[in-house]
Order: sequence, then C-alpha cells, then structure tokens
Amino acid sequence: MFLSLAFQIAIPDPNVNVGLILPELIVGGVGVIVMLVDAFARPTQRWITGGLSLAGLGAAAAASVWMWLNWAGNPPRGFHDMIVLDELRLSFTLIFLFVSALTILISMVWVENEKLPAGEFHSLLLFATTGMMLMASGNDLVIIFLGLEILSIATYVMAGFRRTDLRSNESSLKYFILGSFSSAFLLYGIALIYGATTTTTGFPGTTNITAIAARLDIARYPALLFAGAAMMLVGFGFKIATAPFHVWTPDVYEGAPTPVTAFMAAGPKAAGFASFLRVFIFGFPFVAAAGWAAKANAAWVSAMIVLAIITMTVGNIVAIVQNNVKRMLAYSSIAHAGYALVGFIAAGAATDLDTRNSALAAVAFYMLTYSVMNLGAFAIVTLIARRNDRRTEVEDYNGIGFRAPALSFTLSIFLLSLLGLPLTAGFMGKVMVFSVALKEGFYALVVVAVLNTAVSAYYYLRLIIVMFFRERTTPWSAPRVPASVALAIIITVIGVFYLGLFPNKVIDAFQKKPVTAQALR
Amino acid sequence: MNAVPHLSWYLALSAVLFTIGVVGVIIKRNVISMFMCIELMLNAVNLTFVAFSSYFRDVTGQLFVFIVMTVAAAEAAVGLGIIIAIFRNRESLDVDDANVLKL
Repeated sequence: MFLSLAFQIAIPDPNVNVGLILPELIVGGVGVIVMLVDAFARPTQRWITGGLSLAGLGAAAAASVWMWLNWAGNPPRGFHDMIVLDELRLSFTLIFLFVSALTILISMVWVENEKLPAGEFHSLLLFATTGMMLMASGNDLVIIFLGLEILSIATYVMAGFRRTDLRSNESSLKYFILGSFSSAFLLYGIALIYGATTTTTGFPGTTNITAIAARLDIARYPALLFAGAAMMLVGFGFKIATAPFHVWTPDVYEGAPTPVTAFMAAGPKAAGFASFLRVFIFGFPFVAAAGWAAKANAAWVSAMIVLAIITMTVGNIVAIVQNNVKRMLAYSSIAHAGYALVGFIAAGAATDLDTRNSALAAVAFYMLTYSVMNLGAFAIVTLIARRNDRRTEVEDYNGIGFRAPALSFTLSIFLLSLLGLPLTAGFMGKVMVFSVALKEGFYALVVVAVLNTAVSAYYYLRLIIVMFFRERTTPWSAPRVPASVALAIIITVIGVFYLGLFPNKVIDAFQKKPVTAQALR
Repeated sequence: MNAVPHLSWYLALSAVLFTIGVVGVIIKRNVISMFMCIELMLNAVNLTFVAFSSYFRDVTGQLFVFIVMTVAAAEAAVGLGIIIAIFRNRESLDVDDANVLKL
C-alpha cells in the first residue's frame, strides 16, 4: 500500500557554499594537478610534485586559519548542514595537514631511493588527506562515510606501494580486507540508525548527526538505535585500532613502507578519532532527562570504558615482547588510542558544555602531540631501516648510540615523549586527557591509564638502553640524513618541546569558542 | 490486498545476508572469496537502506545506496589490483600463505 504511493520528491536548493569546503577543495584539486604534472614530468623529478604538494597543503592550512579567524564566532552554514564549521573540525584539519606535510618531507628522498613513482605517492597522500579532512568536517553520516572511504582506498594503495616486496603486499592485503570489513560494519550501523530515527510522528529517518541527536527520544525503533550505535562503535573501533579490533595493526604497520607507517599511525588514526568524536559526542550526547537518549549515551560510555581499559592494557603488555621496532611502535599506537579514549569518555559523560568542550580539545591536543612525536620517531626509524626496510629489528639498534649520536639522541627524545616524560609533548597530552577524566570522576580509569604508562616505560626505555649501552659486533655506519628529513626531524623536535612547555596557546585555540555551537535543526 | 511483505522481513533478510558475509570473511581462506563476502555484506546494507527508504517513502536511503555502490566499485578496483600484485609475487591466493608477517 505504501509502495503504491508515488515518492514525493522535491528537489531542494543544493545550498552550495564553496567557502565552507575550501581547504578540502584545495587539497583535492592539488592532488589532481600533481597527478597531471607527474604524467608530464620526468620520473625522478620528485621536487616538483613534492614541492607542489607542500604548497597545496600550505594553502589549505592558510585557508583553514583564515576560516578560523573570520568565522569563529558566527560560522556560516551550507550544504544543508552536511558540512560543519567548528573548532573540532578546524583543529583536526590542521593536524591532518601537518601530518601530511611532514610525511612528504620524510618520504621525498625515500621515494627516489626506493625507485618508486614519487608523483603517484604524493597525489595518493593528498587524496588521503582530503578524505581525512572530510571525515572531520562531515556533519552527516554520508560525508563521514565518503571521507573514510576516500582515505582508506588511498591508504590501501600506499601500504602496498612497494609492489615487488612480499611484506608490503601482505600488509596492503590485510589492511584492505580488514578495512573494508570494518567499513561494512560502520555502514550497517549507519543504515540501522537511518531506519531507527524514523519518528513516530511520521518523519522519515535521517543521517544528519544533529538531527539524530534531536530524534533519539522520539525514535520509532529504539532497539535498532542501540544495534546501529554498536555497529558503528565496532566500525570506528577497527579504524582507530582499539583492542579487541586491533589485530590488523601490527602486521599492517610492520609490512607497510616506513614513511607510510608513519602516516598511517598519525593521520588515519586522528581522522578516525575526529569522526568518532563527531558521531558519538554530538549524535548521542549526554542528556539529563531519562529516556532513550540518556540510555544510549550511558550505554556507549560504559562500552567505551571497557574498550579503553582493554586497549591500553593489551597495547602496552604485548608491546613489551616485540622484537621489531615497527611492531613495537604499532602496539604503542594501540596503547595511545586507549589513552585518547580516556578523554573521549570524559567528553561523552560531561554534564555541561564547558567540560565537554575542554574534553574535546584535550583529545584533539592529544592527537596533535601523538602525531608530532610519532612522526619524529618514524622519520628516524626510516633512516635507520635503510633501503627496503631491512633493519627494523631491535638488534639493528645495538650500540648505535655513539656512532650516530644526533640521531639516537633525537630518537630517545621522541621515545621519552611517547612515554610521557615531563617537559615533553607526550606528558602534556596525557595530563590534559587524564585531568578532564578526573574532573568527571573516572578515578579507576585514570588509575589504570597511569599504571599502563608505567608499564610502557619498559619497552620505550629498552630501545634507548639498546642504543646506548649494548655492544655492537657487526659493522655499522651512520645513515646519511637528507635535508628534507632533517627539516622534518627539527620541526618535530621543536614541536615536542613547544607543546610540552607552552601548550596553553594551542589548547585555548582548540576550545576558544564553544566547540559545540551548532544550532539544532 | 497488501502483497508487499512487511518491513521486518527485509530487515531480517539483510541481517542474515550480513551475517553470512561476516562468517564467510572469517572462515574463508581464499582472498577472492573473502572479497566476495565483503561485497555481500555491503549489499546486505544496501538492502536495509532500500527497505527503510521505500517503506517510509524517503529518498535519502536510496541516495546512500548509490554512494555505497560507487565506493564498492572503487574498492573492488583497488582490491583486485592488490590481489594481482600478491599473485604475481607469490602465485597463491590463500591467506594462510600470507605469513611473512607473524600474526
């Protein structure tokens, strides 16, 4: 009977507002240009494509900052609220651009040494960045899904970029299978939410996140709401590598070319957090009044507490027994996702907007600090690994401390920062997320997190000890440091100390305005 | 008079298809079969979208299906490319043979 009625399709005004997606347009457009330039440039001309990519990323960063300064108080709207402009989006956008630019610096000489096509690598990186930015800016599950796929498909290719290397093949295959597997879960969650948010008063379902939040209490199928949220939790859990959905991480991180691993550990993880936060904090927010909305919020917060505890513990304990540096850093990245989830939980359970905003800013800040120190560490691991990633075992670091003092010393700084030594960025990031969690009363969770930090000291310090206090029996000469990688390392070292000593400016910027200034539809 | 099955039948069917896909990805050892199971999962989701969309007379779900199909096509292109790269180097598509990286 319903089907016999014709669909009432009114074509609405597309509501285009190009200014709202300016950074995304710039990065995507430059990606296409890089591809074209690559077709006509000689294969070894990495500086052209690399420089062009860096210029594009810089222009997008300038556009984001411009948007931040001009529209902070009164954000414009467009695309029927499918794209949102707020501090959460802009802070994550800048993190992605930063990660991408550093990856280009790290990989610029590397692509040539490995005889890989530089132009393709740079354009894929730019497309992946566009996807990440869309994930942060989408206020509709459609945009988030599209951004996620743009990111994932580009990253699958990047993981398998060393075409003739079995490890790279295998990494790419595992990433592809498990990545699309988890996308299907996410998508099923979206479908169920879309159906569940049909109202009893006759409105059809919605995929707009603000509208979902408003519909929770009048949803026609509350049970599907929970099933959908659970499916999305699994999907995002895979993407940001929380235990028990983390099994792909070590294999993929180990097998992928090291600069790609650097990118994957920092960028897609932060992007996953950006849309995870967007969907769960804004889609299923804390509600004081009893009802389905309150129950949904309580349910995901308690599920997340379990996830965070398992993630931190599994990541840190398994990292202890790893003998490959890339695998160790992969488990460390799982553990760091767990620490960031602590801030996420605090944001989800926050009863007032101020606390929620500061918790969101803390998670964004955590992702920034993690990206900085992780990219720095991977830059050095890339150098030490040499061609074809031959030397990534812990034994390969035996006694290199006094043969390449500068490299070993900077790697130690990054490791200590990952551990969370005071004065470094890692310490400040942890303080931020743990303090908001304490403010919300999650004492047990913070205790578990701090204990885990103590466990992590073992494997971070072990590498430092191996570098400086072990004897080396085999010959070893220090790798040559190309100028672009040196620049990347200098930037990250400055970043580690700047964020560790003067975090206030960044934190204030991340939460300057109420991050949540979105009018309900 | 009303020959159209109730919404819950469509939802149940798509849930069953999705589960078959999930189980297939977990137990199958051939990469191509695993890939087909993932496609099955995506199409189960499409069925859910279309069912809701048609039942509540709203086009959003159907638009979503088009986006999912486009994305699945792009994913298939990349996925098959990866599979060919692996096959060239190893001459096997069994995931148990993909064990250079210890699990």
